[in-house]
Amino acid sequence: MKMKHALPLTAGVMMALAGGALYVTGAGVIAADHLDPPGRTSPANDATPDTAADIADIFAWHTATDINLVLTFAGPQAADQPAVYDPDVLYTINVSNAAPRTTPDIPVEVRFGQASGSNSFGVQVSGLPGVTGTIEGAVETDLVKDGVRVRTGLFDDPFFFDLQGFRDTLSTGTLSFDNQRDFFAGQNLTAIVITIPRDRIENGSNLVDVWATTARLGGQL
Amino acid sequence: MTTKFSRSLRGKLATAPLIVTLGLLAACGNDEMAAPPVVVAPTPTPSPTPTPTSFDVGPCLNQVVPGTGGVTVAGAVVPDTLTLNLAADAGFPNGRLLADPVIDVTLAVIFLDLSRNGPGTLAGLPLNPSANDVPLPMGFPFLAPAQGTQVMTSPGSGFTFRTDAASAYTRVDRMGMPAVSTALIGSSQKNAYNDADPVNDADGDFVPELTSQLTGLTNALADDLVAAGLTPCARAM
Repeated sequence: MKMKHALPLTAGVMMALAGGALYVTGAGVIAADHLDPPGRTSPANDATPDTAADIADIFAWHTATDINLVLTFAGPQAADQPAVYDPDVLYTINVSNAAPRTTPDIPVEVRFGQASGSNSFGVQVSGLPGVTGTIEGAVETDLVKDGVRVRTGLFDDPFFFDLQGFRDTLSTGTLSFDNQRDFFAGQNLTAIVITIPRDRIENGSNLVDVWATTARLGGQL
Repeated sequence: MTTKFSRSLRGKLATAPLIVTLGLLAACGNDEMAAPPVVVAPTPTPSPTPTPTSFDVGPCLNQVVPGTGGVTVAGAVVPDTLTLNLAADAGFPNGRLLADPVIDVTLAVIFLDLSRNGPGTLAGLPLNPSANDVPLPMGFPFLAPAQGTQVMTSPGSGFTFRTDAASAYTRVDRMGMPAVSTALIGSSQKNAYNDADPVNDADGDFVPELTSQLTGLTNALADDLVAAGLTPCARAM
């Protein structure tokens, strides 16, 4: 049996609380955004889940020189499954750097494309500040232009959470959370990673707001 | 629901020695576990029927998240965006790094009196796994390579991309802060929430829903938070 770290009782109590919290909401799955909204993206709630358009997570952080944006989607999925590149989905990473904070001053749009009749996919990123035109090229490749670096591809799902413990706690009423158990371990997803020089986005002392959206051509599945 | 969980917890609290660890509980697999070691179990006293208490979550929504330069919990969730203060150190809720324990921090921030139990209280236990299962590279592309073996795409060029305007597409999903849509928006509002934009959040369109969901959670859990030695941010009415 896997060794588990000893935790004070408080930890056990809190784990049950977390399970309870999630139960109350009626959310079948608690995750960052994986499989949400369930009626459109979860196989448990939708006969035609739109996996490609299912945002898993959006990450955004700054360093001394850059702002990094990571949008993950189509996950978590088993490690034997390929990446998901759907030419009919528009991915937008919205960045606001001026008041009001809710307007997407810098909408970065990402589309996937295919070379005709092949298992060969490319990515196109438009709306990048300081980049002339778009950044285009093959997936699974570092693409660099005008100081911006882009890579899309299949990656390990970086999210971590004991989803199984949550479900078990709900179904059995037994405390089953285990902080050594990560539902997302060993699973993958597809991601878009963009590094932009910080001065392309920094606007005085303004806060920078980031959010992601997905949309499908021709309506929802 | 107060109820099923609370009673279950009260039972455990009444019968289990304080040094019982989660590891022991979890290892057992069910509630009919043999008595844990070092037990001097008091005779269990029947739990009184919980008196429903209603809580005002206003103090939770209005408390300032330490380290953010004055951002309140409500301000962090509405509008639903990741917010970066470039003058401060990066790390959730100031932006979000791949390795940040966002679920534990979020639960602490919405349930606990942050002047008594800091945002890192639950992450410090930790409540959930504290890190990704495989190491994350320090440099670009920051994510770890895919696990397992898959059919890979072929190298190529001459890709065809759609040129339709953004307006030709139909919204499917949106995300800003982790777990807000999943945990604080009820089923009936989920599609509307994902169809909306931060400007709608800022207009207050979903404040009643967020408040209602948080109130429901707090009504169910506040006594357990107290029993765990923590101080809820909500105030009993």
